[in-house]
Amino acid sequence: MSYLSTTDFAEDPAFVDRFKQTMKGNLDLSWMDAARERVRCRPQNERRGLTFRDLDVGSYGFTEMPELIRQNRSFAPRGAAMPPGLPDLQAEVNRKSEVWAYNVEGYYEEAMTRQWNATTDIPWAELQEAELPEDIGKAYAQLLTFLTEVEMIATDVPCKWMGRLNADFFEVKNFIATQAMDEARHAEIFRKRALTTGYGLMRASAQNEFNLKFLRDADSFAEASLALHLQAEGMVLTLFRFSEYISPTDGDKKLFRLVMQDEARHVGYGMQHLKWVLDHFPEKREVIHHHLDEAENFVFGGGYATEVMEPFIILSGKGLKKENIEQGVRITVAFQNKQTDEYFERLAKCGMPERRERSRLWKMVELGKEAMGLAS
Amino acid sequence: MPVSFPSIAFFQALQGEMRAERDRFSRLGFFDTTFGVRVGSTTRGPAAEFVLTFEVFDCVRVAEGLAGAETDFVIDGSFAAWRDMLDNIHELGGADTAHSLNTLTHFGEGLQVRYDDPDGHDKLYRFAESIQEFLDLSARIDFDYADGSRPPARREKARRSGT
Repeated sequence: MSYLSTTDFAEDPAFVDRFKQTMKGNLDLSWMDAARERVRCRPQNERRGLTFRDLDVGSYGFTEMPELIRQNRSFAPRGAAMPPGLPDLQAEVNRKSEVWAYNVEGYYEEAMTRQWNATTDIPWAELQEAELPEDIGKAYAQLLTFLTEVEMIATDVPCKWMGRLNADFFEVKNFIATQAMDEARHAEIFRKRALTTGYGLMRASAQNEFNLKFLRDADSFAEASLALHLQAEGMVLTLFRFSEYISPTDGDKKLFRLVMQDEARHVGYGMQHLKWVLDHFPEKREVIHHHLDEAENFVFGGGYATEVMEPFIILSGKGLKKENIEQGVRITVAFQNKQTDEYFERLAKCGMPERRERSRLWKMVELGKEAMGLAS
Repeated sequence: MPVSFPSIAFFQALQGEMRAERDRFSRLGFFDTTFGVRVGSTTRGPAAEFVLTFEVFDCVRVAEGLAGAETDFVIDGSFAAWRDMLDNIHELGGADTAHSLNTLTHFGEGLQVRYDDPDGHDKLYRFAESIQEFLDLSARIDFDYADGSRPPARREKARRSGT
């Protein structure tokens, strides 16, 4: 209990007197005259319901929010009157450009309506009947182990930052709350699926965890978002689509379609955030490049660890025979190319087309292809 | 009276099936995208193009032609590739492991996804389950192809494993 009140209320005469007056019916009512804007918001589209966009009016809205939040240091909801004496909660992130994204309010509403349930939305009974060959089953269980590790840190990162953002960034805080729920559900579903394969969880990945630690320990929310939402989740989105492609059963296909929906929404936020930053603070471009340099270094180390890549090869080639492995390597290389290409496409769309030339990631992909005897 | 694939009537029939499943699509959540469908030419006819617009929980517009249309992405494939997918859905009541839209488009082996904007492209994935369930509704439609042939009759599916 490190935070203590400066007042012992039960012993404070002024407080006790005011409390007694209120209980006698002598109301203060000063709050009724608080200077604030009167509004009555309505849904613009009744089929959609009342959305955050419908509340974007005057001092309650987000469009007119300044870049620097100097006034509100408390939990006062944006638009509320702020009496003297509100505590300074020492939010660490008070610049709009560090968190804001075009359409963040839309991503939030989409997230809320597209929630699903890992316990009841997957045909678990049907999946239990599916017997996987041992090599496929073990490879799949290893892939699920890797994905569980990834999703646990993906839950921790938005949670870590949520309370550090200024309360005025209400829509962003709510969006990353949905992200934390999404990622927790992903960790849940991958764990559940691993434990229903008949093989359980396989081996954790040191290389992968170095990458995850880099994501968790970002120095700022802007760095965390760049590395998590755009770079890592962008690559994981392609990985989920690939995982749907190589999934052994219909139930697994559905599982990956559901997780890819959430992941694509997080990537959308990441893209719209980077666009916002570059549109409003183009001078940050070089800092972003430097952060991506290191993020990509970790990607190579994490994503290409044997316990991560080999399951892809086995699942793609559908087995461990020589011809299966050869086919699996071809498909996995095609996946890596697609993953890398889509990552640079997204950066280009955000306003960083030069990243494709500047990045060492292509070189790393080429090294991987050379090692597999598939030099282009 | 069967509708023909590809035709505007086919997609209007899908639109009608989606409206009949409002509760199911409401549970899947907001579904806001406009995408194109292109079915390659055959000896029996030129390429066919359609635009489908989804808003909130509904398919709100079905139109012919891609010229001038603003789409998030276009799903493009030969008539044979579309037929392969639709036959599979019709026969099994829903796509099996080899015929889900993501599987067919992932490496462009069956169908290709064309797009200008990666943000628009990502909507294929943001709404992946809604799009798959929309296409799976074609299992209920009475339709035939331009040569008069029909998709296979429904059989009990053995869809569990593609390995």
